[in-house]
Amino acid sequence: MELICQSKYYTFYQAEKERRFYIDFGQKTIPLNLCQLIALRHKVLSISIEDHFDSDLNKHGFEVLLLCNKEHLFVLNTLEILDLKELVQHSFCVMGIAATRQTASV
Amino acid sequence: MKDIARQSMSIKVESMDMLNGQIKMEAHASAIYLAMASWCEQNGFFTSAKFFFKQAEEEREHMMKIFNFLIDTGGSPISPEISNINHDYSSIVDVFESTLEHEVKVTTSIHNIVKKARELGDITTERFLDWFVMEQVEEENTIRDILDMIEVTGTEGVGLQMIDNQVANWIE
Ligand SMILES: [Fe+2]
Ligand SMILES: [Fe+2]
Repeated sequence: MELICQSKYYTFYQAEKERRFYIDFGQKTIPLNLCQLIALRHKVLSISIEDHFDSDLNKHGFEVLLLCNKEHLFVLNTLEILDLKELVQHSFCVMGIAATRQTASV
Repeated sequence: MKDIARQSMSIKVESMDMLNGQIKMEAHASAIYLAMASWCEQNGFFTSAKFFFKQAEEEREHMMKIFNFLIDTGGSPISPEISNINHDYSSIVDVFESTLEHEVKVTTSIHNIVKKARELGDITTERFLDWFVMEQVEEENTIRDILDMIEVTGTEGVGLQMIDNQVANWIE
C-alpha cells in the first residue's frame, strides 16, 4: 500500500495490486473502489459546513456519513469534516483526476 | 505510482460535477415542458401541447446522453432531484417566451462547461459537448421562429387558434 495523502485525522492509501484505495479513519481503515471513493467525495463535498455555525440548521455540529453502500457509518464533527473535505480534494488532485484543489461545488 | 484512478476514469472530476449539474438542468427542462404541455392541454392549445410533450421527451434524451457519457468515462452520474416547477402562464405567448428564456439559460450553461473543460484540458468532455452546442442553436432557432410566427399572426380574434395550428409545422 502506498500513501497518497495525509491530513490531520485521516490517511489515504492506494493498493496497486487490488486496484483499491484505503482510508484510515483512526478508529478503522476502510477499503474503497473508485466508484465508492467518488460517492464519498460527493457526500463529503455536499456537506454544508456553514450549517454547523447555525444552531437551527445543525443543532449538534455533527454529520453522519454512511459509506460504501451503507457498510460503514461515521459520526464526524465540524473539524473532522473540514479535514476530510481537504483530504478528498487533495487526493483527487494527487491522483490526477482533478485539475485543481478547489473543487467546484457538487 | 500506478494511476489506478486515472485508468478507471477518463474525464476530470470537475467536469463530472458540471455534467451532473447539466443532467439536473436537462431534467428540469423536461419537467418544465411537461408542465407547459399540461397548461396547453387545459387551455385548448392541443397542437402546442403535442409540441411540448415532444420537447419534454427530447430533454430527457439529452439528460440520458450525459448520464451515459458519465458511465462510459468511468464517472458517477447522479439521478437529479427536481422541484419548483411553474405551472402558471398568463398566455400562450408567455409559454413560448418562457421557453426561449429557458433555452438561452441552457445554452449559457453548456457554453460555460465547454469553457471550463477547455481550461481543465479535458478534451474528452469538450468534444462530447459539441453536439449539445449545435443542438442548442437548433432549439433556440425553433422557438424564435415560433415567436416570429406569433408576432405575424397576432393574438386578436382567431389569432390564438391559428397560432396553435401553425405550431404543427415545428413538430417533426
Ligand atoms: Fe436540452
Ligand atoms: Fe432544450
